[in-house]
Amino acid sequence: MNTNRRNLAPSRMVPVLLGVALAAGLASPRTTDSQPASEKRASGPGQRWSKVSVVLPASENRFPPGKGSNLTVQCLICHSAGMVLRQPPLTLDEWAGEINKMRNAFGAPLPADQVDTLAKYLYTINGRHSPGGPTTVDGQGS
Amino acid sequence: MRKSNFRSTQLSRRDLLARVGGVGLAGLLGASPWKAMAATIVELPFVNGRRELVTTFPQKGAMLLQRTRPPLLETPFEVFDHGVFTPNDRFYVRWHLANIPTTIDPATFRLEIHGHVREPISLTLDELVDKFEPYEMVAVNQCSGNSRGFFKPRVAGGEWANGAMGNALWKGVRLKDLLDRAGVKAGALQVRFNGLDAGVLAQTPDFMKSLAIDHARDGEVMIAYAMNGEPLPLLNGFPLRLVVPGWYATYWVKMLNDIEVLNAPDDNFWTAKAYLIPDTPFANVAPGQQGVKMIPINRMLPRSFFTNVKDGAVLKVGQSMPVRGIAFGGDTALAQVLFSPDAGTQWQEARLGPDHGKYSFRQWEVPLRLASRGARKLMVKAINTAGSAQPDHANWNAAGFMRNVIESVSVQAV
Repeated sequence: MNTNRRNLAPSRMVPVLLGVALAAGLASPRTTDSQPASEKRASGPGQRWSKVSVVLPASENRFPPGKGSNLTVQCLICHSAGMVLRQPPLTLDEWAGEINKMRNAFGAPLPADQVDTLAKYLYTINGRHSPGGPTTVDGQGS
Repeated sequence: MRKSNFRSTQLSRRDLLARVGGVGLAGLLGASPWKAMAATIVELPFVNGRRELVTTFPQKGAMLLQRTRPPLLETPFEVFDHGVFTPNDRFYVRWHLANIPTTIDPATFRLEIHGHVREPISLTLDELVDKFEPYEMVAVNQCSGNSRGFFKPRVAGGEWANGAMGNALWKGVRLKDLLDRAGVKAGALQVRFNGLDAGVLAQTPDFMKSLAIDHARDGEVMIAYAMNGEPLPLLNGFPLRLVVPGWYATYWVKMLNDIEVLNAPDDNFWTAKAYLIPDTPFANVAPGQQGVKMIPINRMLPRSFFTNVKDGAVLKVGQSMPVRGIAFGGDTALAQVLFSPDAGTQWQEARLGPDHGKYSFRQWEVPLRLASRGARKLMVKAINTAGSAQPDHANWNAAGFMRNVIESVSVQAV
């Protein structure tokens, strides 16, 4: 747990806890060979609230170069590149479906006449040939 | 101590160091953890499943990076072998919208309850704690799309393995008590929840979710100000998070600051158009199937997992060893966990660990002794008190929701 405790150490990031020993049994991972672990319930924190301030890391992922890669600035308005790069390979139609979901449901300001170019770029970097079957991309925003 | 038979093939650096210290180097040689340690890369078992194990997120330990902004962080599965409570710093993280406040000042934070009520109220955190009866519950929080990466055919979305879930002791107040204080007026239909997060673009729908008024007043739905005895990590919703026991995590609104009682159905995007499932058993349809009635996702299904044996593990013939894992009942209590040592031909009941309430993870365990050499498929199946059992075949839907197929691991007895 030392690694974790170190991460929690900067006090400006974490509310101050008063008066309660936080069930070490909850916080410490344990292992068992012969029987399931027993756990204790914590009684809750002392009710003192401190300001919490954190810094979220910046993404280190970049879209690879290629025709149409300039359009990915539109993607990066709302999310980092990793979300796209970690998708399963999609067909050209499926990529177009994803792009249109971003435009229609979330308001991505990509002009309609650039959807094909961006879809072709994404298909080039992470595509699969159409099996001839139905698309598996759904239109919901979730 | 763990027995070396049960070492997993992918470990966090922290776990690896702990094991080296605990069991000695010799017991670990030949396993793949070294690769994981060197590159802090984990290969999830599906196409494009390479993930970095990162420690760069505030108040978080080593997590699998699914997306940096807005953060999607998966709990490495070995964490679930450590006990049924998921540590706050290993609890998975899922945000929809990138405009997340990084500073929360309790001096100015207020929780508003308004809408179709007799008297709107505005509460400070201290008032919430001091003026309402504390309420505690252990409950599983599971992403609707947990395990999406295992869907076949694959679907787009957050490509999680099985670690988009966690179990915690939540402490806070009952939502019912707040609503009663504000005085819900006749004709109320739903209660809508909004948090401090927002989209980057003005035209992006704000993330809000609604529950039916009777559900909101059931005395179990609660607003948590503590998680496992500590304030919530910011990325898990500090200072307040809605807890909807037995329901998928999309309803567990983070950084909750606004509760609105509605006298008309909520038509906001996230309630009306997103997080919809086919209205079929296990939300299952055939790929491409059209014309299925869609409804908002709701109650969780039972699930069970192996935590100390991984796919591809090599076990010794004739040696007795405990096989264990975690399970939960979904929207009601776990009744039974069944284990099969032979791909589902025979099933035996697993022994269950301490009961922390019907919405909690529960540990299960069986002794296993493989009598002969060869490949084996071990399976585990949870059944809840409503009689719902994990199905033999995986469900499929285009959003990748509600996977709960029987889990299996292939092992080799030598």
